[in-house]
Amino acid sequence: MMSNTYDLQTFQGLIFTLQDYWMRQGCMVAQPFDMEVGAGTSHPMTFLRSLGPEPICCAYVQPSRRPTDGRYGDNPNRLQHYYQFQVILKPSPDNIQDLYLGSLKELGFDPTVNDIRFVEDNWENPTLGAWGLGWEIWLNGMEISQFTYFQQVGGLECFPVTGELTYGLERLAMYIQGKNSIYDLVWAKTKTGVVTYGDVFHQNEVEQSAYNFEYADTDFLFKMFDQMERESAELLKLENPLPLPAYERVLKAAHCFNLLDARHAISVTERQRFILRIRTLSRAVAEAYYHSREKLGFPLCRRAEEAK
Amino acid sequence: MSVSNLLLELGTEELPPKALRRLAEALAANFTAALKKESLSFETVKWYATPRRLALYVKALADKQPDQIIEIKGPSVKAAFNADGTPTKAAEGWAKSHGIDAKDAEILKTDKGEWLYIKQDKPGTAAAALVPDMFRQALAALPIPKLMHWGDKREEFVRPVHTLCMLYGDQLIPGTILGVESSKIIRGHRFLGQQTVTIDNADSYVETLRSQGAVIADYDERKAAIKAKVAELAASVGGEADLDDDLLEEVTSLVENPHAFLASFEERFLQVPAEALVYTMKGDQKYFPIYSKGGKLLPKFVFVANINPADPSTLIAGNERVVRPRLTDAEFFFKTDRKHSLEYFYQRLENIVYQKDIGTIAYRSTVVADTAAYIASLIGADENLCRRAAHLAKCDLATTLVTEFTDTQGIMGMHYAELDGEDPAVSKAIFEQYLPRFAGDAIPTEKVPMAVSLAEKAVTLTGIFGINMLPKGDKDPYGLRRAAIGLIRIAVENGLNFSLRDVIAKCAEVLGDKVKAANTVDSVCDYVFNRLKAYYQDRGIGAEIFQAVLSVKPQSLVDFDQRVKAVQKFKQLPEAEDLAAAYKRVNNILSKADVVSGDVNESLLQEAAEQALVKHILTLKPEIDSCYQSGSYEQALTKLAELRADVDSFFEQVMVNAEDPALKQNRLLILSKLAAILSTTADISVLY
Repeated sequence: MMSNTYDLQTFQGLIFTLQDYWMRQGCMVAQPFDMEVGAGTSHPMTFLRSLGPEPICCAYVQPSRRPTDGRYGDNPNRLQHYYQFQVILKPSPDNIQDLYLGSLKELGFDPTVNDIRFVEDNWENPTLGAWGLGWEIWLNGMEISQFTYFQQVGGLECFPVTGELTYGLERLAMYIQGKNSIYDLVWAKTKTGVVTYGDVFHQNEVEQSAYNFEYADTDFLFKMFDQMERESAELLKLENPLPLPAYERVLKAAHCFNLLDARHAISVTERQRFILRIRTLSRAVAEAYYHSREKLGFPLCRRAEEAK
Repeated sequence: MSVSNLLLELGTEELPPKALRRLAEALAANFTAALKKESLSFETVKWYATPRRLALYVKALADKQPDQIIEIKGPSVKAAFNADGTPTKAAEGWAKSHGIDAKDAEILKTDKGEWLYIKQDKPGTAAAALVPDMFRQALAALPIPKLMHWGDKREEFVRPVHTLCMLYGDQLIPGTILGVESSKIIRGHRFLGQQTVTIDNADSYVETLRSQGAVIADYDERKAAIKAKVAELAASVGGEADLDDDLLEEVTSLVENPHAFLASFEERFLQVPAEALVYTMKGDQKYFPIYSKGGKLLPKFVFVANINPADPSTLIAGNERVVRPRLTDAEFFFKTDRKHSLEYFYQRLENIVYQKDIGTIAYRSTVVADTAAYIASLIGADENLCRRAAHLAKCDLATTLVTEFTDTQGIMGMHYAELDGEDPAVSKAIFEQYLPRFAGDAIPTEKVPMAVSLAEKAVTLTGIFGINMLPKGDKDPYGLRRAAIGLIRIAVENGLNFSLRDVIAKCAEVLGDKVKAANTVDSVCDYVFNRLKAYYQDRGIGAEIFQAVLSVKPQSLVDFDQRVKAVQKFKQLPEAEDLAAAYKRVNNILSKADVVSGDVNESLLQEAAEQALVKHILTLKPEIDSCYQSGSYEQALTKLAELRADVDSFFEQVMVNAEDPALKQNRLLILSKLAAILSTTADISVLY
């Protein structure tokens, strides 16, 4: 028995269902961040808002790019551009696992017929200076979500703790729609006919893979990396530091790094050094952001008090 | 005093499966130690563990500690009172710390003097009052690599905690641990049975959880059930399941109510080397692969679920769906790799850096090839086959399959070499170069694999020592310890008698100017010989025996081992301790004397005891020499034991430091001959 009216046999219906469910659990539904990021965690709503004492309940879709995962549209299971559905709850509520399981029921999965399991998977993102403990969620043996209690972000201890839930939308949709290829997923049933995921993104995967692996200008990317690194550091050195633009420079630098990685332009030993450079920037941003909120008196804490 | 049974349960979110047993066992051990420390008597402590709970059941726990009489001795009476009879500061402080006034202390009189003294009856504390703290501390002392916070709580544990139940008989023990208050209400299975279950009595814990909560709390019961069911399902298709104990434990730790199901994958995947399929089935999916009686992988597997639906078709179809893309990946990688021969991948190794100061993996392979060829000449292996195996040894690292499934390194190389029609010794060596991978693993037993595997390890050690990247503490990124133990095991257990120093020197010579550290050859040899200490410790052979042999610096690992075994036997002889003492004494005397050399002058032998000893040494010498020649150290040491009586009488009857310098010189010479003969196998002076 489903309590919503969205067509789960479509990709968009899946997104609407999740948004609707989490909205009903008291989350704000945010919009995707408008820059290239590797995962929903890099959205400032997660990376920055998980810092400090201010509470947040938020859900959003985040398009994510992983240039090295490009397969020229040939592999039915891998994409260099895909979608994550992200939920963050701070402080993580006591019933966070039940809330998550509620979302699966909403998607039509009866847990007495489908084997749902929390399997240990500890998360670490070296470029964000972040780690947490949690699980991957298995549905009949398939990983459909990541569940993490953030312990550290940008090198800062997370307290209160943010609970992060990340759904792999394509995988979940493939399961629900019973498709063996991402490209066969039904995105929507429109007035002008059925639109598949392949209709929307196959050409993009082919072209972007070529760009990522063959044509991305590595000299320019190296320069851009340096430039972004410099700028980010300088923005934090200002008398009134600007952590938000500084953070965007970090994301730009991280994307340059990912492209350079796809172009095999970075050797194994250099790789480690690049990761370290990004981490240094992330940490500086995290600290500056924390101080900026502190200066404002952590306004969202007051709001939460009033809401009680 | 009466007794009752105690139940302690901590309800949590899903615990790490690979750590579950360790956590539960440690909890039981910690709590048992606490019971003993608190003098609370009990019969047994049993642990229970599921993904969502850790529990202890203590049988026949005393309701309180025994009453005790406490006696405390304080400062001496002299120091306790001032001249005016008032207590000194010291006495007051002591009394206060024990909760009395100094003047109320009793006096203890002994023949050594008088002391302030307190004698108190200490009634035993009730178990129920002690249990919460003991449980709290037992939990706090668990071996948890990474603790976590959750919500806005300051408590830390492996995973968030939700329930606590402390029951003594049917009495709830109140208390709060990790932010949770003790209650009779605990949680059942997430999806089956009742979500919450009330435990009325410690004794009904297991059965109530089972009947109402659909949870089998007993870890070993779940494990046995899974094992039996998996085996049964495998047998139902005429096969045998791979009942790998690590996998069984992991699966047991992932379910509260296990049910096994049989599923299949398409037969076409069987053309991929089985190891690649098994790797993803076991490692990623926690599935049990099934083999035919002949050891061939069948297109079937068993998976274990935490639920038992009346119609398992969704569940089975779901799991089969998941494994398909994984096997498709393996198949794709395999087919991609097989477009070329294994040798084709060698060129890619020229672009993969092994270590920046040493060079590429391709370069390293040339060093291993030269070293393996040298070892081949020492142990009688075919040099060309050794070179060929070393050349191909790392090629699979550049294949897509190994890039994706890194644990299959060596295994894929072996299969690809077989498919290419390489000599069987070569393909075998490609796999066995990595042996032994862990304690108790198999080792190569044929000549070519032995030479290649030894060379692989010698090159690792020499290369990394040569650039001064020695292991520090627990950090050993290049696996030097494992390499050293590997060298030892392959040489010793196969009886390969060669000079380790020569092999390491050969490595260093081939590496040339890549070896930058001074004395690399010495350092590597010392390192390897020192690893023998742990090797022998594991085999119950004492450090003193290892030290005795190390002192005489054998060059060959096998020779070292033969000496160790001989000394071990020697030490059991009744004469051993006396001879060791005598040898120590001889060394002391010789170390104080000037250097002596030459032969004993028999005409200067005055005392019967010295004549007897010299005669005995002279008769024994050729026999012992021939023992050494043939490596019969045990026989040599047994013969030495015969010397004891003569050595003892020598020291009893002969004065070494005689006034006559010629006499003294001659006696020192006797001792030096004795020392030489005694120390050839090992330095027996360190045995006691």
